[in-house]
Amino acid sequence: MKLLTHNMLTSKCVKGVNVGYPLTINASDVRVADVDFNPDFISRLIPKIDWPVLYNAAESLGHVEDLPKETPVNYENNEEFLKKAHRALLEVEVVHGELVCPESGRKFPINNGIPNMLLNEDEV
Amino acid sequence: MSLQTPLYNLNDFPDVYEPSEDTHLFIDALEKDMKHIINSKPTLACEIGCGSGVLIAALAKILKSTCCYFCTDINPKACIATTRTAKMNKVPLECTRMDLTTNLKCKFDIILFNPPYVLTEELEIFGCGLNRAFAGGLRGRSVTDRLLNNLNDILSDNGVCYLLLLKENNIGEIGEKMGEKGFKIKLVIQRKIPGEHLFVYKFSKA
Ligand SMILES: C[S@@+](CC[C@H](N)C(=O)[O-])C[C@H]1O[C@@H](n2cnc3c(N)ncnc32)[C@H](O)[C@@H]1O
Repeated sequence: MKLLTHNMLTSKCVKGVNVGYPLTINASDVRVADVDFNPDFISRLIPKIDWPVLYNAAESLGHVEDLPKETPVNYENNEEFLKKAHRALLEVEVVHGELVCPESGRKFPINNGIPNMLLNEDEV
Repeated sequence: MSLQTPLYNLNDFPDVYEPSEDTHLFIDALEKDMKHIINSKPTLACEIGCGSGVLIAALAKILKSTCCYFCTDINPKACIATTRTAKMNKVPLECTRMDLTTNLKCKFDIILFNPPYVLTEELEIFGCGLNRAFAGGLRGRSVTDRLLNNLNDILSDNGVCYLLLLKENNIGEIGEKMGEKGFKIKLVIQRKIPGEHLFVYKFSKA
């Protein structure tokens, strides 16, 4: 699971949960993979990202490095920033661990990079 | 531009849907529409019910690092098979086990769904095994209708959803219902194979 995916995942569908976002990450195995950098794509992606959630997720995994707390103005032309965003969004991966719903405490395991968000029928 | 079926190996995955005529028709539909897809510059793509993962891998091989590729399946083995397909084809697929796109809060620019479309008893829609690849309930639409009812919320304004349908799914009625909701519906490709008349349609916000 990349932090990009974490940025989109919610547990809102759990019975009684209103927002279910962001999910807490408890990671036991984190890896950094090499992914092709495409500045135009990252620029298009950033408006769709909840930046503070990305920042906090990277920080909680110990991979915040020099990621800025806020997106700079005119980031489209700021290749240095786009590379940092690329790394946090696409290269840091949680291989094993769990996601935790902030409201209900329901845990969702992550195995081999795949989060299991499927609920039992009595939970929806 | 020609789209080849991506590499896959399901030897260790007897419970995962083997790419079949419907899968190949879907790949042909994507090939036929590829110019549109490239020109629309999608940022977020999602395949629902990825099975072996070959459809989303085919899309990823064309769009490469210009887009991100989410995919979902309720079958845990399908999720693992898809990550293997991703490795074999060197494409970055983000697979999560879930129902439809329930746990993803973004709106997608492109959605692919080759659903369980076979007409069956509703009772056959149970568990998370291979039966879920086929069993579509009474009109073969129990899963498809749940997606369509929700499509407005999960598709971006310029987004397109590609959906495989069977003649018996009563496509006329689907068109009418979605038309009333303000969707534009267009046939991309159709094929008759022994016992089945298959169609791939695309849905967009008009
Ligand atoms: C006809 S198979 C298609 C597999 C693959 N996409 C292909 O074209 O070869 C349908 C897939 O949808 C999955 N599926 C069925 N119901 C689902 C649901 N509610 N949410 C997510 N996936 C589902 C099945 O497990 C199966 O892998």
